[in-house]
Amino acid sequence: MTALSIAFLLPWVAGVVLVVLDGRRGIVGWLGVAALAGTIASLAVVALSAPAGGTVSFTTGSWPAGVGITIRADPFGLLFAILSLVTLAAAVIHEVLEGVREQEFPGVAVLLGAGLCGLFLTADLFNFYVFFELALAAAYVLSVYGRTPRAIGAGLLFTAVNVVGTFVFLLSVASVYRVTGTLDMVAIGERMAGADPNAAILIAVGFFVAFGVKLGLFPFHFWLPTVYTGSRPAVAAILSGSVANIGAYGLLRFGAGLLPRELELAAGTLVVIGAASIVYGGVLAISRRTASEMLAYSAIGQVGYVLVAIGIGGPAGFAAAIVYTVINALNKTMLFLTTRIRGPLVGAVFVIGALSVAGVPPAAGFIGKLELFGAVHDDPALVVLLIVGALLSLLYAFQIYQYDHWVAPRDDAPARWQPRAVPIVLGAVILGVGLWPEPLLAVSHVAAGVLSGR
Amino acid sequence: MNLLFALTAACLFGAGAHLLLSRDLFRVVVGVAIVSQAAVLTLIASAIVRGVAPIHPLPDEPVSDPLSQAMALTAIVIGMAVTALLLVLVLRLTETLRSRTIDDLAEEEVERDERLERRHAWSQESEEASAR
Repeated sequence: MTALSIAFLLPWVAGVVLVVLDGRRGIVGWLGVAALAGTIASLAVVALSAPAGGTVSFTTGSWPAGVGITIRADPFGLLFAILSLVTLAAAVIHEVLEGVREQEFPGVAVLLGAGLCGLFLTADLFNFYVFFELALAAAYVLSVYGRTPRAIGAGLLFTAVNVVGTFVFLLSVASVYRVTGTLDMVAIGERMAGADPNAAILIAVGFFVAFGVKLGLFPFHFWLPTVYTGSRPAVAAILSGSVANIGAYGLLRFGAGLLPRELELAAGTLVVIGAASIVYGGVLAISRRTASEMLAYSAIGQVGYVLVAIGIGGPAGFAAAIVYTVINALNKTMLFLTTRIRGPLVGAVFVIGALSVAGVPPAAGFIGKLELFGAVHDDPALVVLLIVGALLSLLYAFQIYQYDHWVAPRDDAPARWQPRAVPIVLGAVILGVGLWPEPLLAVSHVAAGVLSGR
Repeated sequence: MNLLFALTAACLFGAGAHLLLSRDLFRVVVGVAIVSQAAVLTLIASAIVRGVAPIHPLPDEPVSDPLSQAMALTAIVIGMAVTALLLVLVLRLTETLRSRTIDDLAEEEVERDERLERRHAWSQESEEASAR
């Protein structure tokens, strides 16, 4: 419990202090990285010291359960919290090594970490909304980082669309409270079964729209390319590698955890929307000429796989969705960080990322695709869809490789190691996960077990 | 009472959505603010019971639900903060672009795409030339 409290308090306090300091000084940036690393370490302590079931929970302020806000760290939430903070920390380290441009960057990034950590570990619906909004407010500020007119325009679009998304979420929260009379997620899961089916479906649709917007799924994707290409690589990496995880987490936690009957009802629709996302993202990514635009459309395609896995459902489907989200977050963080750097090593790292996006061994993406194939193997149409999607991603990723890395270097600027360090380390991690996937698979299956109630 | 709340919230949401779709960025911000009010109203409506104030020690008569009030207050604060953030963004953009409609933003985007296209065509030509 102490470690869990530290994980909540540390980024809060550190973020508030760092926001008022000048983040352009190296020391402040590294303090921010240290705060994130401390949070990750205390989450790791919670995960390792948890009892057999893997769940640590306490009620804030020593209130009786049902009155106070419950914080519940189960394997599913811990996995997402650690994943999002690791990708966030990687992007922040990258930016600090390159030189931070604006003074609030490290502080706001740490506050984003506070929001992410809270929303993945809370068991209270309204508390989830508050942390959700906190994380997003930090993301809004980050999205205008750089202050070019393009970044501000992209930030405005990102903010306006996502604010409306969160208010749709809030409408669903209000409806849940109306229907069940509680905000505790476990109690909601129990009472939702007796609720009026019409109301439950409306609530589920509200949650789906809110998280679909966050994730950038096909019909809600319109904001995504402008934002991901308009912001700096580090910010695009943060938005796609750690903030977008909220969408996948929300769909799994609310769909599979709270509204399992409605999820089953909508399974076919989810698969169709996911398939549309895969094809749309893939085809548009091929038509793009720059790496960041290609990655933005690729992000739309990749979340389609997650949605297809959720639609298939069951322990296998949820595990595939979790594995795929983890690997996709790592891929996207690494690839967005490489968009503005060149060189033979960077080219090699880009190839690892491209192979991982397409699902070719030995990169980690292969494991994600393998899990997906395991989940869909008895449906020929879906198998064809996955193969087509993989071919499309192979095509668009190597097309960009040809444009960007298969040409003679244009400038003879002295090669600096700073911008390359983080992408190279992440590339090694992706390769490592691909070669030794057992830990990730084991953790994902335990996390999926939490969702399917085993 | 429920119907009244539902209708009001629906009207607010509709008005907000209408403003969100307009070209003027300032109207978009006002639209966001109105949509946030619709959500707040729904929160209040989610637990309407007639009763006395729930102050300890609780009386025997029914008390009104304090939780939805607390949620509504939190949502109002968050909505205000986000609206302020949006207004700052619009202000920044107005200062840099000297306009506050979406069309100018779109124009900027199109120009950038064209520049990119030209540069790409040029680099390919020069590559082919050097290959020859």
